[in-house]
Amino acid sequence: MNAIAFTDVSKSYGNVLAVDGLNLTVEAGRTVALLGPNGAGKSTSINMLLGLIRPSGGRIEVFGRLPEEAVARGEIGAMLQSGALIPELTVKELVDFVRRLYPEPLDLDEILKMADLTDLVKRRADKLSGGQSQRVRFALAIAGAPRLLVLDEPTAAMDVESRQRFWTGMRDYAAGGRTVLFATHYLEEADENSDRVIVVARGRIVADGTAAQIKAGVGGHTVRFTLDGQPAAGLDALPGVSAVEVSAGTATLRTADLDATVAALYRGTSLEIRDLRIAGADLEDAFLALTRES
Amino acid sequence: MPSYLRIEALRMLRNKRYIIFVVAFPVVFYLLFSNVWGSQTNASGVKATVFLMVSMGAYGALAASIMSTAVPWAQERESGWLRQLQITPLSNRSIILTKLVAALLLVLPALLLVFLCGIVTQGVSLSPGQWFSLALSMWIGTVPFAALGLAVGSLVPPDTAQPIAMIGMFGLAILGGLWFPLDSMPETMRSIAHVLPSYSYVDIGWNLVAGTTPPPQDVVTILAWAVALGTAAVLAYRRATARA
Repeated sequence: MNAIAFTDVSKSYGNVLAVDGLNLTVEAGRTVALLGPNGAGKSTSINMLLGLIRPSGGRIEVFGRLPEEAVARGEIGAMLQSGALIPELTVKELVDFVRRLYPEPLDLDEILKMADLTDLVKRRADKLSGGQSQRVRFALAIAGAPRLLVLDEPTAAMDVESRQRFWTGMRDYAAGGRTVLFATHYLEEADENSDRVIVVARGRIVADGTAAQIKAGVGGHTVRFTLDGQPAAGLDALPGVSAVEVSAGTATLRTADLDATVAALYRGTSLEIRDLRIAGADLEDAFLALTRES
Repeated sequence: MPSYLRIEALRMLRNKRYIIFVVAFPVVFYLLFSNVWGSQTNASGVKATVFLMVSMGAYGALAASIMSTAVPWAQERESGWLRQLQITPLSNRSIILTKLVAALLLVLPALLLVFLCGIVTQGVSLSPGQWFSLALSMWIGTVPFAALGLAVGSLVPPDTAQPIAMIGMFGLAILGGLWFPLDSMPETMRSIAHVLPSYSYVDIGWNLVAGTTPPPQDVVTILAWAVALGTAAVLAYRRATARA
């Protein structure tokens, strides 16, 4: 069963097209990252998925229903980009209030543990640090044990350590067979915490697959060696090579066919190859290549 | 919904501004005014301590219903708390109804404390029927003010809601004759006062303690305001929660 289905979904504000004909399905039980630069349409898509805004065209279904219906049935929990808490209430009061709004919520202690809030239960919301508030907002998102958890750039205000603990909590939650969709512009987060990465740019999907597939899709590997004073002419004509860069005596070749490129480098040129290094393209390269204005 | 009502009440009772303006102010001024004018009686033969108890109770109730709605509600909209609620199973209708009921509940401490103060410190004595009708009419009569606060909170951002709520609250209180007798006001202001919900609201209370039937005009005026402001609040709320 599909947890999420977008069919030809678009959203425009005046003559600005924020989301441009999005087609997307997410099977129940998956953890999916929505990766893209700012302004790619991630938040607009998420707000439509939550029923907070209506698409200008197309249809969105969550577990086979309209988003508003899924929200009313308590099937969605979400952490939006911004969202203050009620300053006069304590962490426990807030979490318990929200969990009681859902038909089959998680146990209060379980929520507090997953969101790493056990030590803060009696703290008032106006006395929390930025990262602590984020954890409370995560707790509110999972409180109702929703089948679909949606997180819009959840770690934006967190330091490195909080981030790690946050993702542990998220994985604990997802481990129960639940579906998670999170938006991020941090590449490592998408790589490490999802089993599928959907790259969006300018309101469209530009790549969709596992992090490894996306990396492979973009000019596979880089080959580096010390060129010193030798001429670089002809390197770009080697088989598989898509780009050549020479700086400070080092040549960097981007190649889609590693074996052919390396073989040709040794057999097809008279260059003296030293310090040969080969690296897989990282997700950063893939991301930049994919989201670049085409 | 009961748990939503609970946290709404809880948070206001922890709010310093609510406690000072709504709970402490009316009691302090009631005691002060009673000490100055307590021995006098008005034209209908009502002792000033009784008359003032109604005035200050009315002020407290008016303040409570506006203070617990306008600014908190505007803040919740702007801060994203409303959105947080909108992605839970809580419906938009439950949200606004809970807000209204919570505002009415928060009127009670202000109102009852002034009454209690009247009984304990000024020896105010009314028949059980009078107490009942007074408390009920002064409680339910705050609906137009709570609706006004909710409308303001739905329409403007918090830093605008703050002065509007203050002006609305003191404007209605002063022009409605809650702070100074209307007789001491110029003719124009008196005619303004007579169409305001705050005047009809407090006048019903004054009549009840004098043992006279409140004039139908008061009841009609406050009902008309309740309908008008209630409609405004609903429309403003729809606008604030509309899906773009």
